Amino acid sequence: MVAAAMISARPKTAKRLRWAANANAWLLLLPALVLLATFTHYPILATLYHSFFSLGRSGPATFVGIENYQAMLEDDVFWQVLRNNLVFALATVPASIALALLMAVWVDRKITGRSFLRLAFFTPTVLPMIAVANIWLFFYTPDYGLLDQILRFFGFSGHNWLGDPGTVMTCLIVMVVWKEAGFFMIFYLAALQTIPPELKEAASVEGAGRWYFFRRVTLPLLMPTTLFISINALINSFKLVDQLVIMTKGGPNNASSLLLYYIYEVAFNFWDTTYAATLTVTLIAILAVIAITKFVYLDRRIHYQ
Amino acid sequence: MSEIVVDAVSKTWGGVGGVDRIGFKADAGQLLVLLGPSGCGKSTTLRLIAGLEEVDAGTIMIGGRDVTALSPAERRISMVFQSYALFPHLNVAENIIFGLRVRGVGRGERDAKLRKVADLVGLSHLLDRKPSQLSGGQRQRVALGRAIIAEAPVCLMDEPLSNLDAKLRHEMRTEIRGLQQRLGMTMVYVTHDQTEAMTMADRVILMRDGHIEQNGAPHELYNEPASDFTARFIGTPPMNIIPWKDQLLGVRPEHVVLMERDGLPAQVRAVEYLGADSIVLCDLEGETMAVRQAGYCSLQPGTKVGLGWDNRHIHLFEKDGGKRRHDGARPH
Amino acid sequence: MKFYTKALLAAGMITAAGWGSGTAHAVDLTMYYPVAVGGPLTNVVDDMVQRFQKENPDIKVQAVYAGNYTDTMTKAMTAMKGGQPPQLSVLFSTDLFTLMDENAIVPIDDLVGADGKGWLDSFYPAFMENGRIGEKTWSIPFQRSTIVLYYNKDAFKEAGLDPEKPPATWAEMAEMSKKLVKKDASGNVTRWGVEIPSTGYGYWMLQALAIENDQRLMNETGNKVSFNEKKTVEALQYWVDLSRKDQVMPTGAIEWGTLRTDFLEGKTAMMWHTTGNLTAVKDAAKFNFGVAMLPAKERRGSPTGGGNFYVFKSATPEQQKAAVTFIRWMTSPERAAEWSIKSGYVAVTPKAYETEAMKTYVQGFPQAVVARDQLQYAVPELSVHENGRIYKIVNDAVQAAVTGAQTPQDALESAQKQSERVLNRYR
Repeated sequence: MVAAAMISARPKTAKRLRWAANANAWLLLLPALVLLATFTHYPILATLYHSFFSLGRSGPATFVGIENYQAMLEDDVFWQVLRNNLVFALATVPASIALALLMAVWVDRKITGRSFLRLAFFTPTVLPMIAVANIWLFFYTPDYGLLDQILRFFGFSGHNWLGDPGTVMTCLIVMVVWKEAGFFMIFYLAALQTIPPELKEAASVEGAGRWYFFRRVTLPLLMPTTLFISINALINSFKLVDQLVIMTKGGPNNASSLLLYYIYEVAFNFWDTTYAATLTVTLIAILAVIAITKFVYLDRRIHYQ
Repeated sequence: MSEIVVDAVSKTWGGVGGVDRIGFKADAGQLLVLLGPSGCGKSTTLRLIAGLEEVDAGTIMIGGRDVTALSPAERRISMVFQSYALFPHLNVAENIIFGLRVRGVGRGERDAKLRKVADLVGLSHLLDRKPSQLSGGQRQRVALGRAIIAEAPVCLMDEPLSNLDAKLRHEMRTEIRGLQQRLGMTMVYVTHDQTEAMTMADRVILMRDGHIEQNGAPHELYNEPASDFTARFIGTPPMNIIPWKDQLLGVRPEHVVLMERDGLPAQVRAVEYLGADSIVLCDLEGETMAVRQAGYCSLQPGTKVGLGWDNRHIHLFEKDGGKRRHDGARPH
Repeated sequence: MKFYTKALLAAGMITAAGWGSGTAHAVDLTMYYPVAVGGPLTNVVDDMVQRFQKENPDIKVQAVYAGNYTDTMTKAMTAMKGGQPPQLSVLFSTDLFTLMDENAIVPIDDLVGADGKGWLDSFYPAFMENGRIGEKTWSIPFQRSTIVLYYNKDAFKEAGLDPEKPPATWAEMAEMSKKLVKKDASGNVTRWGVEIPSTGYGYWMLQALAIENDQRLMNETGNKVSFNEKKTVEALQYWVDLSRKDQVMPTGAIEWGTLRTDFLEGKTAMMWHTTGNLTAVKDAAKFNFGVAMLPAKERRGSPTGGGNFYVFKSATPEQQKAAVTFIRWMTSPERAAEWSIKSGYVAVTPKAYETEAMKTYVQGFPQAVVARDQLQYAVPELSVHENGRIYKIVNDAVQAAVTGAQTPQDALESAQKQSERVLNRYR
């Protein structure tokens, strides 16, 4: 009898203990949770909610279901900025990663002026995007901009780089790659320095050349860094629009506009807050898909030590 | 056939760890140990042989070939690093066959060799594991496997056992020695552990401050130390060395006896009981003398004892420079 | 103890005094204002506000520079939605419909005193048009402009043209531009004939061209636009032809912001720009330049432009009264003249041109009255419901045409279609 009672009591005590431990954990998490809920989760939910309502200018807002989303699908500008954003991402992400890796490998070696080079490569990252955009605006200015002056020196004619829909995107991509690569280089540099030098020596004893070692050892060992960087770059390509405000305002004719900038225009120039909410939900969905892909799929496939 | 000749090799960085005109020979199929305290230049010597560092002067020959200017790969050597230098993203099998892959060895041959080597080092059941999933000893075996699969005539080992615990170290010592003999490799083995050197080596080179202090068979270093440095470095506990007249007098602990009468008056300071024997540490006119006694010794600290030894067991060294004297005046 | 009571008493009195003056005597006003042209205009505004406060110690005005027109509108609207709107602001005269739709502003008529009617009638009618809907006046002109033609007299001389005879018609402008284009040895253009900016305010320039072709772009109630009319298309076609056919203007979009520098650097012999830039050009030009009315096709003409004062609904009646006092002070003839001289904007009342300061100024710098003289041909700036969206649609169409992505016809058809969709619900 007594033994039976004890046995039945034990799980109860265990449960209470577990609950106490849980409560403790929840208490510790509370401040962060409150902040996140207030400034991230609630706004997201509110945005989602608003995206199902009419604008309600001079009148109450009414529930319209997915009408705003239907309007979005019929909005040519939405499709264009989405296309632009994809082009922008597909061009900036691999290019900035490749450049970052190249620079990191270069300045990781023992060469003279190494710290100067590192600093030079990192400088663009330290500058605010607004400053960078202003600098590059001067490069791209027709006729007396740096680019045109150089071209003219070699006898070519100038070009209205930012005013031509055919070139404006490339111009912005080049600038963003320049700006981002230095930042990513730092991550690669840090990762490269965690690779023990003996690995290189062991490989050289085995007869592996520099390129073979880079391909078969360095690159795989950098994979977690590469993954981290590419997710960041991808998210950045949807988040970074400061340059548009300074350089093109998304023009000419939306040729350089990106999704987030379009959201800004809809919200603060058109004052169409519900449509802006609709677009925002779409953007959040895109970012969520990227994040989930990273956490659920890619992390499992890429080796972590 | 594949002996190693190091001739007047120098290397400096302007700091510690360089070597100064050293020369020695490792006979084919021998296990040569480079021994010495840290910073003595033993690892540098190994890396010079491997080609991981370039010599400032001198030549290195392997198997009759001058390899001084060759890359590590061209020297036909294999190497085991202190940290094992395993590729963390490759599994055990891929780590072992890394070199074969580099050299483009065909799949069939690769698999056959892998099977053989994995068997040899006892890793057959772990081939799919990543290094991070292995114990220290298992990692050591992977490094070993990678070194022997190439069947290079020369194998270089840089303190391969220093990251293992004592028991495992003892086990691996025998195993490495066994492998070396079975495969007939010429092996250069760097360690700071004199026990390893004594137990494994055909020949030991004791180094100090970038030069060779003594080069000889283990028993030569033990029985006829060329200097008081060697004498103090080899043996546990090391040789007792006390000033005597204008020279240094050395006698091994096992040759000192506690005498009932006569003997030099000393006082027991401590007793270390090791099981098979005990080390009695005595104070002799301010100098410490270690005395090895068989079995358990019950002497209490503070006990007055007399020390004595047979004169044929003493070693004499010069006071300046510590060189061995063969002609010194001996006590009676 | 005695001392203690005394100190407390004194403190209490000071508090009471401070409190009293705060509520009974000083009204606090916050005003947002934009700067869309060159020159240190924020200093000018600050200086004028200081003087106003000296003359009206019971009103405190905090003037906040908020960027360009769009930024200022954004700031005012977000402040309003956040519950802390300014009491008055200088915003686009054309933001009227949007501000009304958002229920943000009050008519001025109800706030002015007995002499108010006379004051409201003292402004140039062309400037009042944008601010009047039905019987009500919703805004007061402040920094108003028209588009004028700036031309480089030295370049004219160099090209063998009479520097005192700027082009008067479209055809003339195209012809003269051809003569003004300069190329270097390898055939690259070093000076263009004329530049019309197509970013930022492309709709404004299109409207000017349309007016000159005798076409209005919108109706008075602000819910209908006529972008795809034949004459509007002709206007855009002329613009595009200047670069694509006549090759006197660079291809691609021309930056509103850097165009003044282009002109000052001699990269273009003529430019279309707001008269608000006049003083900045005058101060920086290293060559003789002239200012002319825009050339005509069917008629002369330009849209008005620039900013008006608005009074916000959420302000207390007291603040609204104070705001009107401030606005009346700022637009009085002397101040209007001063503002015009220091910026280049058109002074908003005829009386301003009768002040001594203005008379003296105009004598030495006759260019200053061109924009005013052009007022007789002026038409209110494009102003409809959902202005922001409609501007974007027109700007996109203009840019699509000047960059060659679409023909003027296609671009404007599409703009019309999109605008119809937006404006439908206001009919």
